Amino acid sequence: MAARLVRIFPACSRVQLGSMPGARFLSQTPSPGAAGSPAGCVLSPADRNDSHGHVEVSCPFFSPQNRDFHGFHKEPQVDVWNMKVAFFFGISVALVIGGTFVHYLPDHGMRQWARQEAERLIKEREAKGITVLDCNYYDPSKIILPPAGDEE
Amino acid sequence: MLKILIPTLMLFPTTWITTPKWLWTTMTAQALAIATASLTLLNWDSETGWTSTNPYLGTDPLSTPLLVLTCWLLPLMILASQNHISPEPINRQRTYITLLVSLQLFLIMAFGATEIILFYIMFETTLIPTLIIITRWGNQTERLNAGTYFLFYTLAGSLPLLVALLILQKEMGSLSMLIIQYMQPAPLCTWADKIWWAACLIAFLVKMPLYGVHLWLPKAHVEAPVAGSMVLAAVLLKLGGYGMMRMIIMLEPASKNLAYPFIILALWGIIMTGSICLRQTDLKSLIAYSSVSHMGLVVAGILIQTPWSFTGAIILMIAHGLASSALFCLANTNYERLHSRTLLLARGMQAILPLMAAWWFIANLANLALPPLPNLMGELIIITSMFNWSSWTIILTGTGTLITASYSLYMYLMTQRGPVTTLITAIEPSHTREHLLMALHLIPIIMLTLKPELMWGWCF
Repeated sequence: MAARLVRIFPACSRVQLGSMPGARFLSQTPSPGAAGSPAGCVLSPADRNDSHGHVEVSCPFFSPQNRDFHGFHKEPQVDVWNMKVAFFFGISVALVIGGTFVHYLPDHGMRQWARQEAERLIKEREAKGITVLDCNYYDPSKIILPPAGDEE
Repeated sequence: MLKILIPTLMLFPTTWITTPKWLWTTMTAQALAIATASLTLLNWDSETGWTSTNPYLGTDPLSTPLLVLTCWLLPLMILASQNHISPEPINRQRTYITLLVSLQLFLIMAFGATEIILFYIMFETTLIPTLIIITRWGNQTERLNAGTYFLFYTLAGSLPLLVALLILQKEMGSLSMLIIQYMQPAPLCTWADKIWWAACLIAFLVKMPLYGVHLWLPKAHVEAPVAGSMVLAAVLLKLGGYGMMRMIIMLEPASKNLAYPFIILALWGIIMTGSICLRQTDLKSLIAYSSVSHMGLVVAGILIQTPWSFTGAIILMIAHGLASSALFCLANTNYERLHSRTLLLARGMQAILPLMAAWWFIANLANLALPPLPNLMGELIIITSMFNWSSWTIILTGTGTLITASYSLYMYLMTQRGPVTTLITAIEPSHTREHLLMALHLIPIIMLTLKPELMWGWCF
């Protein structure tokens, strides 16, 4: 395991990566098998002249000349600016300012007000000792019904 | 609404006039500015539901979260595509971005439509840029087959919808969503009425997709480039859900009986597609089937039409949109390095790219519906309302939740843990761009946990 790690990390960070700067090496197994084609595994055609059986896939952007490659553009100056623009508009404007705007939106449908009002009423009624909530909205003793049998 | 539409329209000149060196920078900036402006749509100032209305477009608490999601996704698509598109000639890059922007435009008009016919036209129009993106920029020969499946499945479902809408217009006189919600429901007793009921919904069920008509989705999601997969998973599936939620309000009372087969198919689909996920060798295919599984739960929730199930459906749609898009972006970071989507080919990535493993972890936790993320809240609300509708559904939904957790963990463990594949000898380090992309996907999910009332819809 450690041997594999030693192989991988120096390959990424070492300046000399062989004849092509920034080259990536993918080893090519002799028979990729059924797992190769269905999932779309497209290894570059092997360089048959290369005696140690490695396939060189060129990665022109991340190179010793461009060690601070951010992933946006091959020219370092444009790359850095693109990174700054993306982070500024994405995080500072959209998430922070947009998030603040969303946080201070008014209480739509008075839902938070309803919850706070309910809690306040419960506290008030419990303090007074009356029932918090009764299934009858009106007091049934105050409802005067017409006498039965007078239906016409 | 115009403050979103006009800047989106102006993205077209920006694409074609900007100098090639600064193309992607300006597109990212403008798209993010539009996304920030779309947050103002969340200020619903009327209690009747519909705001920002003009004669053609309006927003209400159902369409606004989806609109904001659509506007948020365009800069994310641009960030995700930047690396793999940049080797191409500049005019092809511009064409690609034009397709993404036109898709965005049609989606904004679809979600903002107040007339159902405008929604239908935009629903169909979104097929064209998506088809071109899949077939022209996909990476394997299967992309042509995928485009065919995608186009014809959706078209075959939506042509009956056109007929049904024309019938409805003739019967009711208007197809405005503001009016339809107050119309008398039709009795729907004859066979023709039942076929009309089905015609209203089949298009959206195919789009969601319902298990049984879902075959286009794995193909289209897998063969599309990353931006195509993102927009398909995050927004286009939700077009189906949104359409269904609008139409099904006026399909009462027949829906009580007629919806049974579709509810059963949806619930069974959760389990079946979840089980298929556990047997996938292709990473993108796994994520695609997981989308079918989550959307099965949404379909079941929409079909039973209770206030809670609608709320759960909207929350799950938004949360799944962000989480699924994040997973496709992560799969793409693997694909750009290895040019393969085979799960077994990229194992033990945590040892090589530990920071990306952290994003893998959070995205998979979101996918398996970890509390307190809104993925869980949506699923739980739907499961609860389905249990209220029929107690037996808990067996299917509970098993589905278990299988969802299994395949999400499986995906994480297969790609990040375990021995590093001996095939990999050198991997490009993670880009800042990729980390920003993942942050912009996952931070909104976490922020939505804190203010879910943005997503609750108008029923809660």
